[in-house]
Amino acid sequence: MTAFIARRLLLLPFVALGVSVLVFSLLQFLSPAMRASLYVHDIKQLNALPDIIRKYHLDQPVYVQYWDWLQQIAHGNLGWSETAREPVADAIRGYFPASFELGVFSFGFILGIGIWLGTASAVHKDQILDHLSRFTSISGASLPTFVWGLLLLMVFYGHFGWFPPGRLSLAADLFVRSAQFHPYTGLITIDALLNGQPWIFWDALRHLVLPVATLTYYLTAVLVRITRSSMLETLRTDYVRTAQAKGLSQRVVVDKHARRNALIPVVTLSSYLLFVNLLAGVVITETVFNWPGIGRWGVGASQQLDIGAVTGFALLLAALVVVGNLLSDILYAFVDPRIRLQ
Amino acid sequence: MRHRVLAFAVMMLLVILSVGTTARGAMGPVTNPDTLVILTYGDPESLDPAYAYDTASDGILWPNVYETLITYDGSVLSRYVPRLAATVPTLANGLISADGLTYTFPIRKDVHFHDGSLMTPADVRYSMQRFMLQDRADGPSWLLLTPLLGTDSTRGSDGKYQVTYGQAARAITVNGDNVVFHLAHPYAAFMSILAAWSFVMPQKWAAANGDWDGGSTTWQTYNNPKVQDRYEFDHANGTGPFKLQQWDRQGKVVILTRNDQYWRTPARLARVEVRTVDEFATRRLSLQRGDADFISVDRPNQSQVTGMDGVTVLDGFPSLLIQVLHFNYKIDSEANPDLGSGKLDGNGIPPDFFSDVHVRRGFAYAFDYATFIRDAYRGKALQPNGPIIQGLLGYDPTLPKYTFDREKAVAEFKEAWGGKLWDTGFKFTETYNTGNKVRQVAAQIVKDVVESLNPKFKVDIRNVQWSTFLGATAAHKGTLYALGWLADYPDPDDFAQPFLASNGNYPARNSFSDPRADQLVKDGATTTDPVKRAGIYKQLTKLAYEDVPGIYEAQPTLFVAMRSWVHGWYYNAIIPSIVDVGIDWYPIYKQ
Repeated sequence: MTAFIARRLLLLPFVALGVSVLVFSLLQFLSPAMRASLYVHDIKQLNALPDIIRKYHLDQPVYVQYWDWLQQIAHGNLGWSETAREPVADAIRGYFPASFELGVFSFGFILGIGIWLGTASAVHKDQILDHLSRFTSISGASLPTFVWGLLLLMVFYGHFGWFPPGRLSLAADLFVRSAQFHPYTGLITIDALLNGQPWIFWDALRHLVLPVATLTYYLTAVLVRITRSSMLETLRTDYVRTAQAKGLSQRVVVDKHARRNALIPVVTLSSYLLFVNLLAGVVITETVFNWPGIGRWGVGASQQLDIGAVTGFALLLAALVVVGNLLSDILYAFVDPRIRLQ
Repeated sequence: MRHRVLAFAVMMLLVILSVGTTARGAMGPVTNPDTLVILTYGDPESLDPAYAYDTASDGILWPNVYETLITYDGSVLSRYVPRLAATVPTLANGLISADGLTYTFPIRKDVHFHDGSLMTPADVRYSMQRFMLQDRADGPSWLLLTPLLGTDSTRGSDGKYQVTYGQAARAITVNGDNVVFHLAHPYAAFMSILAAWSFVMPQKWAAANGDWDGGSTTWQTYNNPKVQDRYEFDHANGTGPFKLQQWDRQGKVVILTRNDQYWRTPARLARVEVRTVDEFATRRLSLQRGDADFISVDRPNQSQVTGMDGVTVLDGFPSLLIQVLHFNYKIDSEANPDLGSGKLDGNGIPPDFFSDVHVRRGFAYAFDYATFIRDAYRGKALQPNGPIIQGLLGYDPTLPKYTFDREKAVAEFKEAWGGKLWDTGFKFTETYNTGNKVRQVAAQIVKDVVESLNPKFKVDIRNVQWSTFLGATAAHKGTLYALGWLADYPDPDDFAQPFLASNGNYPARNSFSDPRADQLVKDGATTTDPVKRAGIYKQLTKLAYEDVPGIYEAQPTLFVAMRSWVHGWYYNAIIPSIVDVGIDWYPIYKQ
């Protein structure tokens, strides 16, 4: 297992390099003036555009430019974002924790509910639970996120006043911005506990309910369908029939024998769900709930042709996919011993 | 297993409900009684009063953070009250000279800036000079440059400086406790300009933070800055009743706190938060729940707030505001996808596409004004006949204006580009700012009608974040784009210059230039006879009709939606509209 993980880790830089070559190649369609924002960390530097073009060889052969660009990336300089009005790296650092917090909370529910419901649905095929589960998953996949989100907002905030949009209430927000509060991680729920302010923790949790519910509904629907299919296939295999024939209870058959094998495709999907769908930001949910996440910034940047931000966002997404794939491979090997023995 | 799952579900439900029900009930007492929460869809471009020239920025700054020497008396635009000046100059009290060229302002004593330093006449002088000499492209400096130095820019069309520090120094002098303005020519609207634009900041603070120190030889270094070049971009130090606590550009919120050292009685509100919330449904629900006190509501959405419990909607405010679709005569094609192919080949437009008057007239005839006013303003607007709008000297409703006429539009397009346009077609993208429903309606009308005239005509639409939108259009990237104009001061010169003078805000963005207009604008500004002035502005209106540098879509009436517990708000047509109207935070309280 260790050797397997080591092999995967050794491949990681090469995969990342390949992605960077692809991104950089696409950038070559832009003029040097447009690409200049990738090399500066202060907007004042763009006042001397010819100097930037000269310094970073933006009018030189591609391989020369690529090397300069890679050096910038290695030093943490992802350029300047016109929409964020700050260096891209700072913008990502600022926006990412909000998306991360939303993503992680959602992921827990998606995984828990998705696997449980998918499994139960398969085990109780064609019974009421299965029908309800399939109805839920179809409606979740069909209902647009913004419709579901706005509905939740109108009912649970507009009518009941329970779960407001935004990340914090006014009082909590003011406290978090004050010198008394230290942002250790950027995740308000965690930071609230680390600062010994449980009321802020509960406030942040309250604001997470609706956006998490919005994301959970849609993505759980996808996971339920995959889990159900996989579990149905597993339950039809010979070894499961053998286990049943031996007189093992349904619970033991499912929990001990079938579920682990049925989770193999779920593992792959889960890493995609978390690292691409959730952590990379969900712009519609962020817009509806006024959540200051990276998705909204990324989409806004692309609409406004903010090259620095778009490139930085693409690199972040690529990094998330690479890490997600790595974790997926490792989990895959953990779940299926045949993989790591290959 | 089933019991465990059930127990877990019940536990989660209880957790969620307990978390949720710590919230306030539906219609309880005043929410956040000492904080005013404003939700809008435009984010500020800059908090530098010499740079900012948009409602989202100025709506925060004035009269809340920075104050002026004098200001309007509440809603009344023809009467002034003193602010940082101790007295309002008039001819009667001798503080305005008989020839109208000298204005003397005794400066109020014992006024402190937010950093605690004492305001002096030297700070006033510095601030006025800085306002003039910073003169960023398409900025507000022309408002003082024109009456004081007789020019609307420190730079000529060739980019060379055309003013000197000496001129600025002579134009504004300090005489004991007085600041004296020496005008280049009599200017009837000078007091109304100062009422809205004579912001004062401390010279020492500015210089200590890398800004111009007021020196005679260094001002050019600080001339025409980019948006973030100055410390004042995101730092403020005024005398106003509120001071800037934080501008969180990621969280899209500006937080201001009460200035407890304010020279008048401190405001009743302890805090103001201005948040950018793009989604109208979210803004509306926040207003409904009482988590917001004012929200931006476009006319098409007005019905969704009318009749809402706990919300007051006030309507019918006459505005000095105009909505315009602008033609960019010379589009910067550098990495600009809005031009398509960049050629007149049916897949794009050339950078000078709109320089052809037949193209512009075609679009002007193709715009369905009545439908726009109906859909965007629910009928509560009138169609202007040019930039000189109703309520201003020189407005004449009998002058010609474009009407929606498909046949005439087709005729104009058939003549455009030597007759080629009709056969080749075109394609471009028009832009408007994100969240602005009115401008979205206008863009859609253009698209629908123009595309219906000829299948080879293609118009795409794109929305852009406000602060970036301003920068893009200032950089000549706009094609056909929507931008409005709210009066800086209630005088026709404030519309004639920005729309028709070569160095005006929009002509500079759009490379429009007409020497006849330049002369008329100059004449209108320097003539004191109101009858003659009216005649000049009528000529300008006719010129705007001939040249059609823009489509003058609507002059709306305004309304405001706020929580009923908000008191002290009053309508003033000049205070920049941070929602749909401006807000002076000082007298406001919640009860």
